[in-house]
Amino acid sequence: MDQINTAVIVKLEPDFSEGNVSYNPDGTLNRAETKNILGPHSAIAVSAAFYAKVKYGAKISIGTMGPPVAESMLQHAQLMSDADELCLYSDRIFAGADTLATAEVLKSGVQKMEGKMDIVFSGHRASDGETGQTGPQTAWKLGMTFLGHVIDYEINLENRTVRAKRLVRMQGVYDVVEEIEAPLPVFIAIDPSYKPKFNTVSQRLDYEKYQKEAGDRAQNFKQYLKVFNAAQIEADPKLIGISGSPTIVYKVERIPKGKATRQAEIIDGSNQEQIRKVVARLLQSLSTVMIK
Amino acid sequence: MTEGDYRHVYVVIEHEEGTILQVSLEMLGEARRILDDFNKKYSSKEKVVAVLLGYNIKDIPKTLIQHGADAVICADNPELRYIRNTIYTKTISQIASDRDIAAKIEPEYAVQFKRPRYMFFAADSIGRHLSATVLAHLESGLASDINKLVVGDLQITHQNKTGGKPLTYEKTLEMYRPDFSGFLWTTILCLDNKNPAMPKDYHPQACSIIPGVFEIIQPDPNRDGKIIEYTPKFDEQDLKVKIIDRKIIKSEIDFDSHKTIVSFGRGVKDSPEQNIKLIEQLAAELDAQIGITLPLSKRPFSVSQTVDSTYLIPDRVIGTSGRKVNPKLYIAVGISGAMQHIAGMKESEIIVAINPDENALIKDECDVFIKGRMEDVIPVLIEEIQKQKQVVQA
Repeated sequence: MDQINTAVIVKLEPDFSEGNVSYNPDGTLNRAETKNILGPHSAIAVSAAFYAKVKYGAKISIGTMGPPVAESMLQHAQLMSDADELCLYSDRIFAGADTLATAEVLKSGVQKMEGKMDIVFSGHRASDGETGQTGPQTAWKLGMTFLGHVIDYEINLENRTVRAKRLVRMQGVYDVVEEIEAPLPVFIAIDPSYKPKFNTVSQRLDYEKYQKEAGDRAQNFKQYLKVFNAAQIEADPKLIGISGSPTIVYKVERIPKGKATRQAEIIDGSNQEQIRKVVARLLQSLSTVMIK
Repeated sequence: MTEGDYRHVYVVIEHEEGTILQVSLEMLGEARRILDDFNKKYSSKEKVVAVLLGYNIKDIPKTLIQHGADAVICADNPELRYIRNTIYTKTISQIASDRDIAAKIEPEYAVQFKRPRYMFFAADSIGRHLSATVLAHLESGLASDINKLVVGDLQITHQNKTGGKPLTYEKTLEMYRPDFSGFLWTTILCLDNKNPAMPKDYHPQACSIIPGVFEIIQPDPNRDGKIIEYTPKFDEQDLKVKIIDRKIIKSEIDFDSHKTIVSFGRGVKDSPEQNIKLIEQLAAELDAQIGITLPLSKRPFSVSQTVDSTYLIPDRVIGTSGRKVNPKLYIAVGISGAMQHIAGMKESEIIVAINPDENALIKDECDVFIKGRMEDVIPVLIEEIQKQKQVVQA
């Protein structure tokens, strides 16, 4: 049985947690004041790769396209996963890329990682861009079977297949959990509800062993870090950055306040009498359930 | 690019075992409105083309035509019964590049046809990923989560696209997408490279469309349309991806059987733990289910493990990235009223907002606006509800 090689593609994103995030008076994000971290969905993808390390002894490579400061995010991801290789794709010419041009860089980057990948993981979507396109587009460019919304997966080492559960929401109809089997290699976009489970004693022991190793490695993360520019990943200059982006941002504007869809009655929250009347009205409208 | 290279709007339809998803009909409605204006303005005859994949789907095309499609391309095959990304992506891409199909839609442009002009997908579990892989295959641009579309002739000056010179891009689709905050609108364009240094065509101009935004047109049983059968070509390798099992599930968070929903947003931030407890009590008094806004599912607060794993979870999100609800009573606590959230609850019968800020957008979307801090208002509400329920029961 050959080694399982996994890769995770992650993104540096604004930290939206309260106390760290800063908003402008008009409600938009203050990017200058908000620091950047490993995106929460990226972190879940990292934990999915760590599951493969604990359970199948998989090798983990983590890659990101970003500015030089993104290396501390890779350090964080290594601390979470005991990653064996950290790759930062950083070049001025990557700037201004849309999802297709970003996917091209990530594809070229993954192909430069050590070993041939069996599984590449990505998060569900970034919390700032929120397109959710970069993962599947990278998968397509890599020629890998794309499995989205994955909430659970197991690898069959003998057959070199993966069995994954996917949560598919059919809006207005129902939700479906689909179990799918696919030959490796596959690209998995992990669902936000994914939680790795370590059930056996040996898994829990391995978990602790790798966690400890992760702590040691992350202290010396630069030993594991490789920084690549466009030429080093052999990315086609016509397909990356602004030149490789089919789309442009034409304009950004405040969403104009629409027409009021309802005419609100305004109640003073400190006026007990007004509250009493509102409650009476609401309870009356609910009367079929409230009066038993 | 010459006239005839890129024509029509292709709309990728979603259905579950023959039940058409609402968003598909909404997209057809919007495609119809856009093309009717377009054909008038440019004296053209471009078509709304529905792309339908599945198995045993003979009844669907008729419905799609009644809802605005001029033509339905139908790939009916047992391998397409359920969506598998690879074969769906390849089949849709084949359809989008197929001249024989184009000839059946419109014989006069059969020779020139290269690709659709525009392409619409749904911004949902399926369409988001499918649109991404199809457009990666077709090597063109995609804007996601769109809630407004305009066609215009735009004067563009862009270092890369036009080599810095002003050029006119005719029939360009302006794709408006609200950002994560709900306050900003970004307009995305997908433009051919007209820079002589590196010319390249980028078509179709594609987007995924937020469910619940556009209106379905009144179905017309007398509308005419063509149904075009398409036989997909599969690679043996791609069929090795197998669906072993499919289980229909109900979310653990059941919104439908509750007459009241109490939802909260970032307004709980001053003391999240206590405020969420208060909301819990209010919900208990009203036998209500509890919902949240999308930002809360990103766990922005440090709260106890129980509160975190009970409430700050994706399953409770109401809005375009979560569920659509229509209870009798909807109470929005500390919710500013971003468009993404409103889209998920605007059908509620009565909407009450509790918010200290009278300028919050939610004020225009509710029937009763209780001005005040939730810390002060909710205890009074609970007290009143308890009193009045006792009276009723007595």
